[in-house]
This record gives sequence, C-alpha cells and structure tokens, in this order.
Amino acid sequence: MLFEFKSFEETKDHYDVLIAGGGPAALGAAVYARRSGLSVLIVEKVLEGGQLNLTTYIDNYLGFTNIEGAELAKRMKEHAESLGTQFLNASVERIVVDGETRAMILDDGRMIEAKVLMIATGTDPKKLNVPGESQLIGKGVSYCATCDGYFFKDKDVAVVGGGDTAINDALYLSKIARSVTVIHRRDKLRAVKILQDKAFQRPNIKFLLESVVEQFVGEKKLERVIVRNVKTNQTSELHVEGVFIAIGSVPRSDLVKGIVELDENGYIITNEWMETNVPRLYAIGDVRKKNVRQIVTAVADGAIAAVHAAENYF
Amino acid sequence: MPLLSEKDTKYLKKTFEEHLKDPVKVLVFVDDPNECEYCDLTKQVLEELSAIDGKIHLSTHHVKREPELVRNYKVEMTPAILLLDANGQDTKIRFYGIPSGHEFSTLIQDIIAVSNNKPVFFNEQQIDLIKSINTPARIRVFVTPTCPYCPKAVLMAHSAALINRNITAEMIEANEFPELSMRYGVSSVPHTVINDVHEFIGAYPEHMFVQELLKAVRKV
Repeated sequence: MLFEFKSFEETKDHYDVLIAGGGPAALGAAVYARRSGLSVLIVEKVLEGGQLNLTTYIDNYLGFTNIEGAELAKRMKEHAESLGTQFLNASVERIVVDGETRAMILDDGRMIEAKVLMIATGTDPKKLNVPGESQLIGKGVSYCATCDGYFFKDKDVAVVGGGDTAINDALYLSKIARSVTVIHRRDKLRAVKILQDKAFQRPNIKFLLESVVEQFVGEKKLERVIVRNVKTNQTSELHVEGVFIAIGSVPRSDLVKGIVELDENGYIITNEWMETNVPRLYAIGDVRKKNVRQIVTAVADGAIAAVHAAENYF
Repeated sequence: MPLLSEKDTKYLKKTFEEHLKDPVKVLVFVDDPNECEYCDLTKQVLEELSAIDGKIHLSTHHVKREPELVRNYKVEMTPAILLLDANGQDTKIRFYGIPSGHEFSTLIQDIIAVSNNKPVFFNEQQIDLIKSINTPARIRVFVTPTCPYCPKAVLMAHSAALINRNITAEMIEANEFPELSMRYGVSSVPHTVINDVHEFIGAYPEHMFVQELLKAVRKV
C-alpha cells in the first residue's frame, strides 16, 4: 500500500441512503443498496475502511488468506465506488429524526436529508482510566500500534490487553521494538489460538499475566508502568518507553443517544433487519448490540440492512 | 519500474481530467542520495504524477546547486515538495519527506485544491476566522505513512495555508526526520505544532482546529 488516494465528487442535499461511518458495514450496505438502484452517500470522518486501516494483517476474512488491513479497506472501497457510491470526508455532528424527516447535520453545518439513515460509526478504543494515562497520551501512551509503532524502534514497549487486537499489536510491534511485554489481567489470553501460538513463539514477546496497570509514570515522557499482580496484590515496575492499550472498545453511539434505544453499554439495539426502534434508521457493524464483532459480521449487517430498506421503503 | 500501477494511473488521469482547473506548479527539492534516502523515490513519483496531466508542472531542484532558491522558499529539509498556484504564487503548502501510504491522497487532494483555489476544509465563517490571522504562523504536522488519521490533520493545515498566505503548513514524515521528531517529543501521530508554542495530538474537527490555530497565534 505504497500510494493511496480518495475520490472527489460534489455531494447532493438528498440521498436514498445516507450512512454515517465508512467501515466494512457501511461499504457492505452501499454495495447492496447501489445494486438495488438506490443513491448512497457515505460520510466518513477519517478514512474509508475504518478500523481495517489499523489492522496490519487480516487472516480471517473469507477469500483472503492473508491481506493487509489497509489493502482490504481500499478494495472494499473501490468495490462500493465502482457501483456509484458517493463519499464525503466529514464528521456527522447530529442526526435529525423529525416526523418523516431523516437527516444528518455535518461539521460544516450542512444538512443532508435521506429516506433511510444508517449508523455505522463503529467503536473507539477503551481507556484504562488509570493515573497518568491521559497526561501521557502522545508521550508514550498510544492506542494505535500501526500509527505509532515506529517511534519505538529497538526500544522496550508493552501492550495492555489479551484479546485479538492486543496480540495482533504485540506481533506487529515485536518486529519493530526490542521487546514487547503483554500485560493481561487474566491467567490466559482471550485471543484466538492461532494468534496465541504465534505470540508464544516470538522470543521477544514476554507475558505479564494476572496483572493490571495501576499507573503510568513519567514527566515529559513515559518512563515506567506500575503493575499490580491481581493474585498476590504485589506491585512492580516495568521500564518501557511505549505502551499500547488494546483492552476493548466503546461504541460511538452519542449521535443517537436519546433518539434510539441503546443497551447498558451504549450499543445500539436493532431487530434482525438491523433497524432500530425508529423506522428508517438502521445501525450496522460494531456500534450495534451483537455477539460477534468481526469484518464478516459487519459486512453482513450492511447487506441485511440495505436489502430490508430497499424492499420496504422504496 | 513505475511506482504507480496502471490502474492507479488510469484512475488519477480521470480524476485530474474532471477536477483540475488551473495549472499547478510543483517544486521538489532534493539532495544527494547519500544525504537523503527518499529523494529519488519522491522525485520519481512526482515525475509519474506530472506525466499524467499537463496541468501539473513539475520542476526539480537540487538544494546544493540552487542555494538561492532554497533561501527564497525557506526549504529546510529534503525531500521537500512545494505547491505554487497558476500565477507562480507560493501557497505555503509544504511536504517534508515522501508523501507515501495514506499521505499520497493528501498530495492529490492538495493539487486539486490549489488548482481550484478552493480549500478542502472549512465553511465560510471558519474561512473568515482564518483570514483574520495577520501574523506569520507555521503549522507543522508530524505523520507516519501508516496512520489513517493523519491525512485529515495535514489537509486541514494545508487548507489554512491556502486560505491565508501568512500561514505556512508543513507535513513532516516523522520516520524520515527522527531528530526533529524527537525534539518535539513526537510519539503519537498526527502531532501538530503551531509556531513552536502550541501543540495537540490527533485529527481535530474543523471548528476545533480553527480554535487551536487562533489560540496559538494569540500566544505569540
């Protein structure tokens, strides 16, 4: 993925389907909606493909044995674009649901109306909420290994978390950093076995299990991490220059708070057609209350929502 | 071997045909290969780009052979890319380091923005606020090619430069300039530094970016 670029097209004030967020769910919905002849605008604030762009390699999306996340993102986007999906690089500030009206207000103040809205805003990385964390963001504490990994070339770093993202990050960082210490609260990792096996084989990945971060310490930059063993309650210090936090995610559902039903963690509740309790307002992908958050389920959400919308509202 | 694939070249040709209005002058400053790892590659990709559309006028300059030009344009590092409008006016849009990965799209969008004299970001009210800045401001945005959040931060800074020529806006590829990155304590990108007195991390929404810019200018 040496050179990438994005498309340019003037946007209109009204679409059949208007999607907030541009990850796999949105792109999946766009493909199905376009093939049904509906006009589609995807409003993405960062980059089409969403979190795919943060994943170095993807090994579990059918049809691709091993592909770079950014490359898969690009291909999905090209697929949606080739069918006439329009894209806009902007943030959605507000969702409007008023009688029959469905619209989004963008960060430049513009309002775009649509027959059907889809929320595909995904999730944000969860913070640890321990002392020193927010003060040291950008000074050693990071939530994006693909973005910031190279600043720690030949240095010692840590990864907090034990899921797929954390172990993927550890594997990626182990090729750049001198050592990677995985700090995880349980006695076993949660990541899928294939990732665990790879990580256990890397000589420069170490594990600090049954341990939690108590504090990040450093004046101008991160100097050490105070870690507590949850079994013995003993604390120890880990001297690392960088820490990558991957302990899960929180839904970006603020846009629809007070408009649609959310669960206790803020995920949007939908029916089996991905429609919320508000007609013509759908939620797809990771932002939705669901059991499996994977690329394949995000794409499927998009397809299901688009088929339902096309059959019922057009 | 060309850096841009046949497919990408075709796509760019169509994009440029549809969106380029006035010619854009692209100046690239290079140094000897042993002084500058990415100069040859940067020069090559720009040559391929300018060959796609006649409205992109490329000129290559060696920093050691043209010191006066280097002084005039205040070029500090190599490779450096500068964009000039059809009248030869410096837009103060700068790229230090190769615009590869996600940053290639930034370069394409900047060329189209300069050609149309139309910034990628900001509404009328925000444009007026940016225009009101009447002292020199220098925005440096540190990036890495693998950072998906970075193009937005760079494009916003570059848009500000296009709106107000008191503003110089630089993309800096952090891996290529490790000493500079270290001096500014860069370890998460995008990392924006304004006038050496104000900094923030992350790609901010438009209104917040404008607020940060105004705050920084008032600090001086």
